[in-house]
Amino acid sequence: MSAWRQAGLNYINYSNIAAKVLRKSLKPQIRTEALRRDESHVRITPWANGRPANLQTTTPK
Amino acid sequence: MAMAFRNMLRNVSRRIQVRNYADAPRGDEMALTFAAGNKVFYDKQVVKQIDVPSFSGSFGILPKHVPTLAVLRPGVVTVIENDGKQNRIFVSSGTITVNDDSSVQVLAEEAHPLENLDRSAAQEALSKAQSQLSSAANDKAKAEAAIAVEVAEEIVKAAATA
Repeated sequence: MSAWRQAGLNYINYSNIAAKVLRKSLKPQIRTEALRRDESHVRITPWANGRPANLQTTTPK
Repeated sequence: MAMAFRNMLRNVSRRIQVRNYADAPRGDEMALTFAAGNKVFYDKQVVKQIDVPSFSGSFGILPKHVPTLAVLRPGVVTVIENDGKQNRIFVSSGTITVNDDSSVQVLAEEAHPLENLDRSAAQEALSKAQSQLSSAANDKAKAEAAIAVEVAEEIVKAAATA
């Protein structure tokens, strides 16, 4: 069993890290565009008393 | 006389059967679909050969390969097109599927032709990953850094052959 499996990681984690490293290793002009794809945002809107409360935007690392 | 006729009929029907079988979709062709999150490289294009790096070892695929499922290892996928042209593409990770009808799907999270790789950027990513590995506080951080090191090493190696 590989070390990362033993440490509790799965192939999805492995794949994410691998893709991230590859995006960082591209030629500058392609890299900027690729790194933009790396970002993802989740917008969470908690509701209280039938109306949206404070807005939160999180950027997972 | 009747017997000769029956024999002839049997021969003819046998020949028709054989011909029908040969008319079935050609089994000596391999349709490749190769896509990543960033780009579609091939869409059901007939190719000669595909070499892939996987966790079950690196292997080459020719038409009529035994059906296979494997997870990709970071490395270079080589596609040999029908005109003999070799196309080398670096894949981060993903899956490779070889189906019973000889069609092949390579699905990668990120994939780029070798000429898009930047050797110095890869070198930088490698040294960063190495320092993260040496300063990793726990098993998980250590494993994550080790993956990054492994991938960066492969990219540096591939970029050198571009």
